[in-house]
Amino acid sequence: MIDPASIPAAVGTVVAQVEYTNALDPGFKLVPALTVVAMLALFLGVGWFFRVAAVDDLWVAGRSIGPIENGMAIGANWMSAASYLGVAALVATLGYFGLAYVVGWTTGYFILLIFMAAQFRRFGKYTAPDFVGDRFYSDTARGIAAFTTLAIAFVYAIGQGSGMGLMAEYILGVSFEVGVIVFMSVTIGYVALSGMLGATKNMAIQYTILIVAFLLGMYAVGWSQGWSTVMPYLEFGPETALIVEELDRQFIEPFASGSYYAWVALAFSLIFGTCGLPHVLVRFYTVDNERTARWSTVWGLFFICLLYLGTATYAVFGSILYEDPVQDTETAVTAGEATSFMGMPGADADALVVLTVQLADLPEWLVGLVAAGGVAAALATTAGLFISASSAAAHDIYTNLYKEDATQREQVIVGRVTIVAIGLLVMVIAIDPPALIGELVGMAFAIAACVFFPVFFLGLWWENATQEGAIAGMLTGIVISFGAILNATIPGYTDAIPGDAISPTVATVLPPTSSALIGVPLAFVVIVAVSLVTSDPPEDIKRLVRQCHSPKPMKRSESAEDVAADGGTPADD
Amino acid sequence: MYERILIPTDGSDVAESAVEHGIDIAETYGAEVHALYVLDLDAIDVSLGTEQVDRIRAGGFDEMPELQERARRATGHVADRGEERGLTVVESVVAGRPHAEIDGYAEKNDVDLIVMGSAGRGGVRRMLLGSVAERTLRETTTPVLVVDARED
Repeated sequence: MIDPASIPAAVGTVVAQVEYTNALDPGFKLVPALTVVAMLALFLGVGWFFRVAAVDDLWVAGRSIGPIENGMAIGANWMSAASYLGVAALVATLGYFGLAYVVGWTTGYFILLIFMAAQFRRFGKYTAPDFVGDRFYSDTARGIAAFTTLAIAFVYAIGQGSGMGLMAEYILGVSFEVGVIVFMSVTIGYVALSGMLGATKNMAIQYTILIVAFLLGMYAVGWSQGWSTVMPYLEFGPETALIVEELDRQFIEPFASGSYYAWVALAFSLIFGTCGLPHVLVRFYTVDNERTARWSTVWGLFFICLLYLGTATYAVFGSILYEDPVQDTETAVTAGEATSFMGMPGADADALVVLTVQLADLPEWLVGLVAAGGVAAALATTAGLFISASSAAAHDIYTNLYKEDATQREQVIVGRVTIVAIGLLVMVIAIDPPALIGELVGMAFAIAACVFFPVFFLGLWWENATQEGAIAGMLTGIVISFGAILNATIPGYTDAIPGDAISPTVATVLPPTSSALIGVPLAFVVIVAVSLVTSDPPEDIKRLVRQCHSPKPMKRSESAEDVAADGGTPADD
Repeated sequence: MYERILIPTDGSDVAESAVEHGIDIAETYGAEVHALYVLDLDAIDVSLGTEQVDRIRAGGFDEMPELQERARRATGHVADRGEERGLTVVESVVAGRPHAEIDGYAEKNDVDLIVMGSAGRGGVRRMLLGSVAERTLRETTTPVLVVDARED
């Protein structure tokens, strides 16, 4: 590569310089490409095998899924390209501030574990809008919830498309745009034709692949550079010290990249967004019993932490290698484009996990495997998101609101058309994403937190929450979360509005990824206030809510609805 | 000739257009009628979510009252028509891919004739929705009577 400093000024003005684009190796790579193909074939094969295996007797208990397998499925569903690639990118470029993502995306499971997992199991319906519609005895509420589910799936999936494009750039040597189109098309085809891809069995396999790829890369880098041995999670202290002393002090300065308020607001949004994500909650409806619901959450959290705690390690290892690559590669720092690793361009940051392994000069198959893990992560989550979108359209909107007697065939067609439509829309936006992967996903969390968390939480725990309260609360959440997102993204699409946001003041108080710190309390207040002035919910709804959080254990075969409908007195009366 | 007649139904008008035909043949031959509802796992997958498919696999159908109700309504319609004519009607619910399950049920229960409706779709609509009747025809060795639901 040409070092810009060595080119005489006179020549430099005439000869076009080789512009720095990104540090990932260009070109098609056979072994990594085969790894991805083999991986996709495995998912499809497992999906097919379990698809043809029919259910012989509906009334006989089959093999139920245990907490460990459920936990792995939670992990695969949860950990997307944003976790796999995005968090390390944010920690590297934002330093301490990026830890808000690590904290935010793990802590939410504690809230789920304590307040919601077992309670949702008792409710035992099918989709997230089902809960809102049934609990708040309102089709309007159901409709708003279905619309929000679609919006969350859409915004969340854009981040995944972005991650797929980056991985395709490395593996297939194609441009980012082509990469997005190729991998997104594969995903849409998979999910539309055999959504079974997302079944628990497959999700456990996807988790295994992604965690093995992630950890293998981390251990190999630490080992080959002499930085760590058996516990890289705890062994990167000296390297962090090196970064702070020699490379960029900002890395550990708590609020250099954002204010204290911004940090708290972001962590808060991510924590409560976790508890409001439709594709996360549906698993709790279906586990075998409450005990399994709780233990699945615990295992899920453990499997998630295996990856999250490693993101900081990757960020540190990757940052050092970015400043001083072992491999003979030009990075933005060595090319003189950035003064430190913290100023690396977005494309490099989002690929940092893969880049770390590549810059350590480790074999191509290993770099490819780490990239394939990123594809698995993006694919697993996208499948879950697309299915949540198709169920919102086919079950909640088409069947429940529009055509009561819709046949199964009609539901199939509505569901598949939704998957294809939302997939294509995601593809178009992901080609020119409005933000970094982690930020995009953060926006989806802000929506989930502002709109869903308050109605889920109060719906399960406060029997006097009324339909009017829920509708008002959800609308409040929608105005705040969507307003914050539009405020910050619209200027990127039009020249008519200068600057980064329509109103910079609003963007400071309500950042698009963190609007929940204000949105959630406000929605709670609105729900409570409106519920107090409107007439109480019907008695059967109150009984249902009491049963959902009753301390008395329920039998496996019972649902809260059955117990409540018997007219029996719930245990806490 | 026909001792057991299978009438698969999903509760739609198309499926129910075949019921009269099936019942009439059963009455003529004094046959036993089997009304079968297939829980289409593809439909469950995209409309309720993949987790629900696992739930059904694990034997959780007994806690899904909405689905049971749909199935009961569909097979109940056949049962009502049959009982009006004094026939024995066996109602069943299975889960899987409809055409494969219809064939499987026919094999297992020594069914002599399958009577089912078809929407008679063509072109793009057929490509998208497929025809369960057509696939069943290809899959099974049991005789099939397909009743075209189009009125013309």
